Amino acid sequence: MTCCFTRLQQCCITKIGVCLLVVAVDSEGLPVIPFNHQKTLVCSMPNHCLRSRMLARLPRIALFVGLGMAQMATAATIYAVGVENEYADVIGQIGGGYVTVNTIESNPNTDPHTFEASPAVAREIAGAQIVVRNGVGYDGWAKKILASNPNPKRKVIVVRELLRLPESTKNPHLWYKPETMPAVALAVARSLTELDPGHAAYFAANVRKFDTSLQPWHLAIASFKAQFGGTPVAVTEPVANYLLQAAGCDIKTPWNLQAAVMNGTDPAPQDVSIQNRLIKQHSIKIFVYNKQVTNSLTNSFLSKAKAEKIPVVGVYETMPTGDSYQSWMLTETNALRNAVERGTLTTVPK
Amino acid sequence: MLLGNSGFFGSEPVQTALIVGTCAALVSALIGMFTVLRGNAFAGHALADVSSAGGAASLLLGVSPLLGFLGMAWIAAFGMEFLGVRKVRERDLATGIVLGAGLGLSALLLYLDVTTTSTTGAAVSVMFGSMFAIPRSLVGPALMASAAVFLLAGLLYRPMLLTAVDPDLAAARGISPRWIGLLQLLTLGLAVAVCALAIGAVLATALLIGPAGAAIRLSRRPAQAIFWASVIGLTAVWGGIWMAYESYYWFSGNAWPVSFFVVTLVFLFYLVAVLVARVTGLSARPKPVIWPHCEA
Repeated sequence: MTCCFTRLQQCCITKIGVCLLVVAVDSEGLPVIPFNHQKTLVCSMPNHCLRSRMLARLPRIALFVGLGMAQMATAATIYAVGVENEYADVIGQIGGGYVTVNTIESNPNTDPHTFEASPAVAREIAGAQIVVRNGVGYDGWAKKILASNPNPKRKVIVVRELLRLPESTKNPHLWYKPETMPAVALAVARSLTELDPGHAAYFAANVRKFDTSLQPWHLAIASFKAQFGGTPVAVTEPVANYLLQAAGCDIKTPWNLQAAVMNGTDPAPQDVSIQNRLIKQHSIKIFVYNKQVTNSLTNSFLSKAKAEKIPVVGVYETMPTGDSYQSWMLTETNALRNAVERGTLTTVPK
Repeated sequence: MLLGNSGFFGSEPVQTALIVGTCAALVSALIGMFTVLRGNAFAGHALADVSSAGGAASLLLGVSPLLGFLGMAWIAAFGMEFLGVRKVRERDLATGIVLGAGLGLSALLLYLDVTTTSTTGAAVSVMFGSMFAIPRSLVGPALMASAAVFLLAGLLYRPMLLTAVDPDLAAARGISPRWIGLLQLLTLGLAVAVCALAIGAVLATALLIGPAGAAIRLSRRPAQAIFWASVIGLTAVWGGIWMAYESYYWFSGNAWPVSFFVVTLVFLFYLVAVLVARVTGLSARPKPVIWPHCEA
């Protein structure tokens, strides 16, 4: 069969199509219009030039197949999903034996920003009676799964909404805010009580227990702030920024560099130079390193900081295995103190 | 402005980008010329795309991305040459099939990067490049790969040129087109690896065939074409790096990606070359070259 396009041209057309799709999928909540755009694009071409019309439909088909299987029978206990494992941990602490908790983002060795949902994940989320998710674009895929599996009885707690933060909030790592989890615990208890009113007192008692157990961490933050308030720090990425701010640290790294590392985009050379200078001139006392979001750039900052003997505090984005939310936060806050007080280089133990 | 701005040349990421970018521009001017003359643009594009699988694999294995790009480009080059084929139509087919398989592998490896390691932004940096994030330690290997290209192409300049322009005549003169073709693909692999490191695997084609394509329209001799391709390539790369640097001030700190500026400049140069060729009466189609061995 002859064709008016060469193979190189066909190849490029396909690739431009893919790029359009990527752009479309990236903008959370608007998948419909771009699909149509793509359809128009594909339909406007002569048949023989683009034999892969099917290709345009594939994502949709995949979505239907995945979500069609999404309903699931529930057990006697309340089935809840904390999309990020720190939220799942809190649900478990409040619900105790009356709740079965599942989590999706739980691997502390990967970058949760680049998570890809599978049909099995869709099934787990769609079947849940309570879902706690972070929001701020951190888990946009979960939002889509929930939207395509409507269930009026399901209770969805979006932490961003709970904290009354705008959708445009720049730093999505809300669980590092000291005031976040008490609010989440309260909201979880409220949802549990609605589904299982018989155990209202039990859930309320667990909330009080949870709040009390956060005290050591809150005290550690307060004492750090009192003793070392204004400590200049550099970071690779904004994961622990809320904690650093609560502890009175002065984050010197330009925001655009943090955002570039977080989103995996091109860093500006000016920002890289500022960060290098901060390390080289010892203008910072701690270098906070997100162990789950790394690339050649963060590695170069890390080796420079080590060479300059600036204490490095390695932090996690996802709750490490074997920790509870409280112990995790306390460990990292203590690591900050050790770094300033004794210059300890900490790779937070798992 | 360019020279007066000491911050520009003083910045470490800019220095690294300039060195690697210069390597990519020079190497692609030389190899791109052969590639375009040989009608191998699609193979060059395919090699570059397939090398993305190597870039993705290097992140998984923790080896140098240059090594990853190079290894995969060479595997693909061998694949195409041995699946392949004298007739242009069949060559396209073999190339297309290897391209598809390579990109599929790339999809798997990028998925594994994301789901098993803490690597961030793997897809963007492998596919579209991130010149300001190239680690210093890669400057040496990039220089060595470029030197290897110049050495190979320098030794085999005449047979490669003759085979590129007229394989039958080359065969009559006792040059094995298959071996020269393979060597050409090997140098092409090296060039692709350096370009992919600089502006990403998917965009590497732009640098590989853009400046050469424009230069061939403006020149009558291969050496002249290589010279103009180098000038165009260097201007695009240096201009692109400078514009990306300056864009930091245009967009209040949100600098645009370097690869975008480089590729856009290459495209503009190509347009200008086509216009100049039309206006000055150099035909809009590439001129048949006058080859060195016929002049004597």
